[in-house]
Amino acid sequence: MARADTCFHCALPIPANCEIRVEIGGEQHPVCCPGCQAVATLIRDAGLERYYDSRDMPDPGAVRPAEDAGEWQVFDREDMLAAFADLDGPRAEATVYVGGMYCAACSWLIDAALRKLPGIASADINPVTHRLRVAWDTSSIGFGRILATLADLGYKPQPLAPDSTERPERAEQRAALKRLLVASLGMMQVMMFAVALYSGQFQGIDANMERFLRLVSFVVTTPVVFYSARPFFAGAIRGLRARRPGMDVPVSIAIGSAYVASIYATYTNGPDVWYDSVTMFVFFLTVARYLEMRARHRSVDRSAALASLLPNTATRLDGESRQQVPVAQLAAGDVAVIRAGESFPADGSISAGRTSVDESMLTGESRPQPKSIGDPVMAGSVNIDGIVEMRVDVTGTDTTLGTIGRLSERARYARPAFVQLADRIASYIVVGILAIAAAVAVGWYLVDPGRAFVITLSVLVVTCPCALALATPTAFAAAGSRLSDLHLLVTNGNAIETLSRATHIVFDKTGTLTRGMPEVVQTVAHSPDFAEDECLQIAAALEVASTHPIARAFTHHQSARTATGLEVRVGAGVEGIVDGRHWRLGNADFVPGADAAPQDDDGTNVFLGTEGRLVATFTIADTLRGDSAKTLKEIEKMGYSVSLVSGDGEAPVARAAAALGIGDARSRCGPDDKLQRISALQQQGEVVVMVGDGINDAPVLAGADVSIAPSHAASLAQSSADVLMLGDSLGPIVTLLHAARRTMRIVRQNLAWAIVYNLSAVPLAAAGFVPPWLAAIGMSASSLVVVLNALRLSRIR
Amino acid sequence: MSILYLLIPLALILLAGAVWAFFWAVGSGQFDDLDTPAVRVIMDDDDRPPEDNKE
Repeated sequence: MARADTCFHCALPIPANCEIRVEIGGEQHPVCCPGCQAVATLIRDAGLERYYDSRDMPDPGAVRPAEDAGEWQVFDREDMLAAFADLDGPRAEATVYVGGMYCAACSWLIDAALRKLPGIASADINPVTHRLRVAWDTSSIGFGRILATLADLGYKPQPLAPDSTERPERAEQRAALKRLLVASLGMMQVMMFAVALYSGQFQGIDANMERFLRLVSFVVTTPVVFYSARPFFAGAIRGLRARRPGMDVPVSIAIGSAYVASIYATYTNGPDVWYDSVTMFVFFLTVARYLEMRARHRSVDRSAALASLLPNTATRLDGESRQQVPVAQLAAGDVAVIRAGESFPADGSISAGRTSVDESMLTGESRPQPKSIGDPVMAGSVNIDGIVEMRVDVTGTDTTLGTIGRLSERARYARPAFVQLADRIASYIVVGILAIAAAVAVGWYLVDPGRAFVITLSVLVVTCPCALALATPTAFAAAGSRLSDLHLLVTNGNAIETLSRATHIVFDKTGTLTRGMPEVVQTVAHSPDFAEDECLQIAAALEVASTHPIARAFTHHQSARTATGLEVRVGAGVEGIVDGRHWRLGNADFVPGADAAPQDDDGTNVFLGTEGRLVATFTIADTLRGDSAKTLKEIEKMGYSVSLVSGDGEAPVARAAAALGIGDARSRCGPDDKLQRISALQQQGEVVVMVGDGINDAPVLAGADVSIAPSHAASLAQSSADVLMLGDSLGPIVTLLHAARRTMRIVRQNLAWAIVYNLSAVPLAAAGFVPPWLAAIGMSASSLVVVLNALRLSRIR
Repeated sequence: MSILYLLIPLALILLAGAVWAFFWAVGSGQFDDLDTPAVRVIMDDDDRPPEDNKE
C-alpha cells in the first residue's frame, strides 16, 4: 500500500502541511489534494474500496479527478446519441474508449460502478483494448450520466463512433484460439489411435480394426489440416507469390504431403500412415504462433490514442448562439469558444480574448505560452486561464497533432526491423531445408524407391524449424509476463531483442527526467518583515483561485492562511487579501516594484508584493525526479552512452544536463529535430533507446530502435512506445535493461540448442534411421526443452 | 474388441460436442479478457448488494 509520504489514491508525494485524509476500511489514509479525496470518497461510498487492495499499483496521472463534469451533459442530446450509439427502441448500446486504465482492478472498478447505476443493461470492459461496451435503457439513464460516472472515477472516457468500434485483433485472437483448440484436441485423439496402431504393428492387429483406426484418424486429422493449419498454407502461398518463401513453405509441404500420402495409404492399405505426425506438427506450430500473437496484441490502440488528446465536443459560435457540437463537426472557418481548462479542438488562431496556453505536450516547452488575438493555437494544447474565441483553420488529421501522428506512423515503418531480418534468414533456411529434402528424396529414390517418401518426410519433420520458431517467442512471452509483474508493459515483442543490443539511451527532459510539474526552487524574501515560508504560504493562499499551472507549484505550501476577495487577472496574476493586507502575486508588470528586482533565467519568476512594494521573488522550475541521477549513473555504469534532447529552452536543459552529468544535451528540438538526431546516431551504428513522454516525442519514440514511455505520458507517446513504465520513477529502466540482456541469453541458448539438434538429427533422418513418428517426438521434445528454458525467465527480479 | 466400433464413434461425437461448446464460449467473448475474472472472483467474495451499502 501507499507509504505515509505519498497519496493513498494517486501515489504522488504529499505536499508539506497538507492534512487531508480519507477514511477507508476504518483507517485514516493521507491524500495529496481535495480532488483525490473526492475520488477516494466516491469509491468508498459506492462500496468499492476493495479496488485499493487489488490494483496493481497506484498510478500517478491515471486516476485523477476530472476537470469538468458539465461537458458530458451534451451527450444526452438526441443527435449526439445517434452519432455515437446504436439505438434500438429505448435500448442504446455504445463503445467507449476509457483512457487511464492499466490493470484488472481498474476494469473491476468501472464494471462495479456502472452496475450500480439504474438502467444499465450490460457493461463489458476489456482492459487490453481499453474499450467499454455498454448497453443501457435510455428512458432511465442518459449517456452523459454514464460518461460522467467514468470521469468522476478519474478515467478519461471517450465515446467512439460505431464504425471504429471493432478491432480486427479481437477477431484474429478468437480465430487463433479456436484453431489452437481444434489442433490440440485433434492431436490428442490421433495420438491415442496412433498408440493402438503402433502397438498393433508389434503385437499384431486385426486388419479390419487397423483400417477402422486409420479411417478414424483420417476423420480427426482432416479438420486439423483444413482448419488449424490453414494459416500456414495461406502464408506459404503469400510467401511464394512475393518470391520470399518463409517457414510456411516447408511446413505446408510437410503437412500437405504427409496428409495426402496417409490418405493414399489408408485407401490402398499401405504399410504406414502419418496422421499422428501431421497433427502433432500442426499443434506445436499453432502454439508457437498463438504465443507470438498474444505478445503482439498487447500494444496500445493508436487511432483512439490520437483522438483522446482532443476534447470530445467543442462549443461552436453560430452568430450569437453557442452550440455544443462533436469535434468532428467543426470545419474550417468556424469560430469556437474555449474556456479555461479545456483543450483546443483544432488548429487555428485566437480571434478574441487573451490567455496562456500549455503546449508542453506538443513542443516540450515547459513554460505556458501567452497568446492574444491573431496568435496561432494548436489542437490538443490546453487553454490555461482565459476564455478565448478561436477561428478554426485546420481540423482532424491535418492539424499539427495529426501531422505528428502521421510522422510517428512513418517513423514506425522506417525503423530498422528485426522481423524483416528474421524473415530473410528464414527464407535461406527454408531454401536449405527444401534442397536437403529434395536431395534426400532423389538419393533414396535411386537406392530404394520404396523408402524414399518416408525418409523425405522424416527429414522435413526433423528439420522443422519448430524449436527454432519457438525459441524467440516463448522467451519473449515469458520475459514479457514477468516484466509486467515488475510494472513494465512490453507492447512490442521485438523490443527486448533490440534492447539487449542497445548502445545509446536518449532521454527527453520535461516530464521524463523531470517531474513535468512546476515547483518553487528558490524563494528570495526582499523584506525583513516576512520570512520565506510566510511568503510561500501567502502565495499559496492567493493561488487557490488560479487554474494556471504555475499555481500548482504553490499547492505544496498551503497552510491555515486563507485569502479573501481573490481576483484573477488573465495573463498577469492574482490579487486578494491575506491577514488583512492586500497582496498581488504575478509577473513583473503586475507587481509594483518588481521591474527593478533581479531576474533569474533558470526558471519562471513570480513576484509577491503588497502595498506598492515587492516582498518576495519566487523562482519556479520543473525539478528533476528523485531517482533520475541514480538511474542515470547505473545506466552509464552498464556501459550505455546517454544523451538528452528536449524541446525546452537552453537554460533549463543545460541545468538538468549539468545536474545529471549528461555531456550531450540539445535544447529547442522540435519533433523533426529529435527524429533527425536519432537517425544521425543510428547512422553512426548506434542502437538507440528513446525515453520520452510528450506528444512531440511520439515520432522519435516511433523512430528509435526501442522506445520507453512512462505511464503518465501522452497517449500518442504511449502508443508509439514499445515499453510502458507504470509508476512514477525511472528505476525500472535499469531492471528492463538487465532483463533484456538475460532474455537474449536465453534466446541464444534456445537457438543454439535448436540448431545443434537439427544438425545432428538431419543426417540420421537422411540416412533413414528415423521413422516419421520418432521425428515428430524428437521435434516435440526439442520444443519442450526450448519452452522450459524460456520459463526460467519468470524468475527475473 | 468389437465394442471399439461403438465407443470410438461415440468419443468422436463427444469430441465434436466439446469443440462446439468451446467455439460457443470463444464466440461469446469468454476468452477475450483472461485477467479480470481471475481478480473479480476474489473481490466478489464479500461484495454486498448495493442497497446494503447505504448506511
